Amino acid sequence: MKDRISVLMDGELDDRSAAQAIDALADGSQAEGEAREAWRTYHLISDALGKSRMLSAGFSARVAAALAAEPTVLAPRRLTVPREPRRWLALAAGVAAVSLVGWLGFAPQQAGVPPVAQAPKATLAPAVAKEANAAVVPLPSGTNDYLLAHQAFSPRMSFQGMAPYALTVSGRAQEPRR
Amino acid sequence: MTARAFGAALAIATTVAHAQSPDPLTWLRKMHEATQRLSYSGTFVYQIHQNDGRTETSRITRYAAGDIEKLEVMNGVPREIVRTRDRVRCYLPDSRVVKVDRRIDRDFPGLLPEQIPALTRHYDISLGETQRIAGLECQSVVLQPKDNLRYGYRLYADVRSGMLMRADTVDSAGHSVETLMFTQFTPGNVTRDMVRPSHEGKNWRIEDAGAAPASLAGWGLAAELPGFHKVIELKRRLGESRAAGQMVFSDGLAAVSVFIEPLEGRRDRAAGLASMGAIHIYTREVANHMITVVGEAPAVSVQRIADAVEFHRPPQ
Repeated sequence: MKDRISVLMDGELDDRSAAQAIDALADGSQAEGEAREAWRTYHLISDALGKSRMLSAGFSARVAAALAAEPTVLAPRRLTVPREPRRWLALAAGVAAVSLVGWLGFAPQQAGVPPVAQAPKATLAPAVAKEANAAVVPLPSGTNDYLLAHQAFSPRMSFQGMAPYALTVSGRAQEPRR
Repeated sequence: MTARAFGAALAIATTVAHAQSPDPLTWLRKMHEATQRLSYSGTFVYQIHQNDGRTETSRITRYAAGDIEKLEVMNGVPREIVRTRDRVRCYLPDSRVVKVDRRIDRDFPGLLPEQIPALTRHYDISLGETQRIAGLECQSVVLQPKDNLRYGYRLYADVRSGMLMRADTVDSAGHSVETLMFTQFTPGNVTRDMVRPSHEGKNWRIEDAGAAPASLAGWGLAAELPGFHKVIELKRRLGESRAAGQMVFSDGLAAVSVFIEPLEGRRDRAAGLASMGAIHIYTREVANHMITVVGEAPAVSVQRIADAVEFHRPPQ
């Protein structure tokens, strides 16, 4: 199913296979949780590689609501834009191999999604964004300024004295040059 | 009371406390008190365990009589921070910049001894093992969070002085996210000269944050994160002169700051989550402003606070 989802994302499945794959995504059963998980994972990879902008919270819910309110178009125009095919499945494997996966927030986006039995959880468990399904970005410029401003109010200081101030972004690029 | 009598009283108090194997809250009070009372100099390491890991070595000197502390970061970009009663000055010799911040935190102290019992609302606090750190026998106190919205802590205090010698920040899986530990510690023998800045800072650019408590009209959270309450709200400058608002939320131990800046000039910033040790930074746009949420809390907490930030145009 995962490879079918990958091909589906690229719009390369024929109508019947695409319909089946979409049915699989829409199906709420335990067995089809895998399809949905794959769909999300590949999109996350796509987003991370393509540096898409973050969507606001509840975006998918709002889109779903908007779609539900839309009238059904009975004769949609066929998309015929030729595209360079990408294999998200292969890409996922490659990404996992270089353990970049740890950078991405792979947690399910909604509660109630059935867990994927055979998914390699250990590999996918992100070190950084365990439960936050956020795009992982580099530390913002001026991070040290934020830290300096924040640390002053951290109650940790009550126990640790100034020690938390020691933590800053290394690298000369982070400091303003004259 | 003379210093000697005070010292003797403390010694007795310490002995008595130790003999009775005091409860964990008493140890937290001892740590808090030692941080304020002691003069000391020492070297400590700050270790981040995530990704490829990182270790920073710093030297810290505290002159208790003047309430002055100096911190010198030994590796990477040279950097020195001197904190006096009313100012924090950060010297960056490479770029010839001094960043100056007023200490508003003195009027809004992070944690008062009388607030320590309230920590049990969000943490199960117990005594842990003893360990020798920097040549000193230390007692550990374990703060286990009651939910996944905050980190746990293992704090190791010198049995004699109560001084915090090591602090581990622990995630929900029980892994240490970052460790702060003295490798060398000398109590006392600190003079005023030892905490003077090493740099004159003449002709350096001064970046004054000009922080002052202020009401950030219209800004707030749609919902507070359980246990995290607003501590203060202020206006300040960031970096060279960017105007920003700051709201600080805290559960008594962990804190999360929300920075609000006008979007112009900040469009280069990618929205999303960044992290460094226990610190997470989450960026998003709200009402034509760049929201940067910074805190020593799990990613999910920082993101939930960020997602709750909202702006309602205040009535004219």
